[in-house]
Amino acid sequence: MSPKSMLGVIVLALAVLVGIESLYVVSERERAVVLRFGELIEPNVQPGLHLKAPFIDKVRIFDGRLLTLDSPPERFLTQEKKALIVDSFVKWRIDNVETFYTATSGDIRRANQLLSQRVESRLRNIVGGKSLQEVVSGERDELMQAITLSLNNIARKELGVEVVDVRVKRIDLPPQVSDSVFERMRTERDKEAQEIRSQGNEQAEVIRADADRQKRVLLAEAYRDAEKLRGDGDAQSAAIYAQAYNADTEFFSFYRSMQAYKETFRKQGDIMVLDPESDFFRYLKQSEVK
Amino acid sequence: MAWNEPGGNGKDQDPWGGGNRGGNQGPPDLDEAFRKLQEKLNGIFGGKGGGSSSSSGGGGVFVVALLVAFAAYIWNAVYIVDQKERAVVLRFGEYLETVTPGLHIYFPPIDSKYQENVTEFRTYNLRQQMLTEDENIVEVAMSVQYNISDLKDFILNVENPESSLEQATQSALRHVVGGSEMHQVLTEGREAMADEVRERLQSYINNYGSGINVGKINVESTSAPQEVQPAFDDVIRAREDKERSQNRAQSYANAIVPEARGEAQRLLEEAEGYRQEVIARAEGEANRFTQLLTEYRKAPEVTRQRIYLDTLQEVLGQSNKVLVDVDGGNNMMYLPLDKIMQERGGATSSGRVELDAQQIRELANQVAEDLRSRSSTSSRSGRSAQ
Repeated sequence: MSPKSMLGVIVLALAVLVGIESLYVVSERERAVVLRFGELIEPNVQPGLHLKAPFIDKVRIFDGRLLTLDSPPERFLTQEKKALIVDSFVKWRIDNVETFYTATSGDIRRANQLLSQRVESRLRNIVGGKSLQEVVSGERDELMQAITLSLNNIARKELGVEVVDVRVKRIDLPPQVSDSVFERMRTERDKEAQEIRSQGNEQAEVIRADADRQKRVLLAEAYRDAEKLRGDGDAQSAAIYAQAYNADTEFFSFYRSMQAYKETFRKQGDIMVLDPESDFFRYLKQSEVK
Repeated sequence: MAWNEPGGNGKDQDPWGGGNRGGNQGPPDLDEAFRKLQEKLNGIFGGKGGGSSSSSGGGGVFVVALLVAFAAYIWNAVYIVDQKERAVVLRFGEYLETVTPGLHIYFPPIDSKYQENVTEFRTYNLRQQMLTEDENIVEVAMSVQYNISDLKDFILNVENPESSLEQATQSALRHVVGGSEMHQVLTEGREAMADEVRERLQSYINNYGSGINVGKINVESTSAPQEVQPAFDDVIRAREDKERSQNRAQSYANAIVPEARGEAQRLLEEAEGYRQEVIARAEGEANRFTQLLTEYRKAPEVTRQRIYLDTLQEVLGQSNKVLVDVDGGNNMMYLPLDKIMQERGGATSSGRVELDAQQIRELANQVAEDLRSRSSTSSRSGRSAQ
């Protein structure tokens, strides 16, 4: 009984093994080919559960999703012989599994390598034909589209690969050149700062000068108006005096002279040398009426 | 136990091995499980000590083992999809369904399941130096918020959707910055820049069919690179300096103009004061004169005489007087004027000009002459008024 059950177990195990060997699953994320003794008998297996001849057929499964080729940054020269560091990436996926298998023997790394060389040579050509300005800011979209398109044509035919997108990630100047760019930027800022400061001084001077002018004008106008007022006062007072004094000119002279004498000799201690013959001293000499 | 163990065992020719490559929880290895079960059974038989009646006991253990395995299987197969999540289920590698939130069951290894948080926004931060259109270098820090808009695409289409997004972001950002001038990037262009990068990025990743939705792009900071930051800061300082010197000048202006206005007002007020003063004085004096004149006309001789005498009294009353009778006396008369001057100089002020005797004599003569002529005119005019 025991050897028989052992045999049963062995047969069962074999059956399971054969069953597993003859079944395979291809996921939606994958592409696959079936090889029989190295010959490609099923070039594009659809996703799902499939049967194959056990131990005879071999299934090769590849990643069918969009893959990335991220090549290392490369140094390029532009038309004007300026160096640029360009870092690009390529998005691709397997398009024709058969061609892909035959061209690369299903090795993604190999495919990346083949693609990378082609992208690089195309980029080099394009960058070499453009100025730095055009590469940095020019029509990148068109440029990339052109590369994608031409690469796609060849890659489809030769590698069974669809190139979905070629893009430039970084376009940088090499470090040595960056330094001189920094230096230039610095001097530009210095220039700007100087200009701003000088403008500040200029405007400050304008403000000061304007203030000084205002002061002068204000004072001068005030002087003018003040003189007018004084003149007006003088004129009016002269008119008043004239009107009053015209009533008796002779008496005015007399009266005014008297006042002037008073004013003139107001100060204590003036010395006066007098002639006793004057009218004032008339009675000093004689008291009788002449 | 064996069912629960995630990941493949490194056997590439395994028919389900492909599903395990992504590192997700894939279907367990059937082959491996069988072998382990077999080993276990063998171990149990061996442990029994080779007895012939082992089959019934072995069968019991087998059933228990099967039950445990089944329970473990069910435990593993039942899963919960959270409200934030979706799950994509593949049956034999073919897309079966996208599972909405709730309690679900799937059947490994026939089914494989990919479960992801789709509503939560993830963030990708980026800080890099890049070239602008005018060949300057700027440093931009940016964050991209994204979530999964289509889990099926996210799982099935792209090898590594998130790194694809990162690459596409760099490309889009550099494209936009490369098409802008430095000034634009550093100042007012940021908002527009974020929009443009977003638009570009979304179109790139749509092209890849990655099932990612770009929510928002924040340009967190754009600045000059560290190497030239001091120069940029200096420009800012220069703006402050400009402001400052203008303010200083303005404060100077604010100080002197109102002062000048005040001064001008003072001039005007003084002039006005003068005007009113002279007018008032004139009016006063004229009035006084007119009134006096009225009285004078009533008695001219007396009034005139009185005024004359009053005046001289006042004038002479305050002066030192020297009476010189030139006609009657000796022509040569000695006036001790120098003595008098000295007296006065000592009394009033010491800063007087010193005069020698000769000068004083001349002065005295002059004064005498002057006084004589004046008194003669006044008497003459007085006479003529009579």
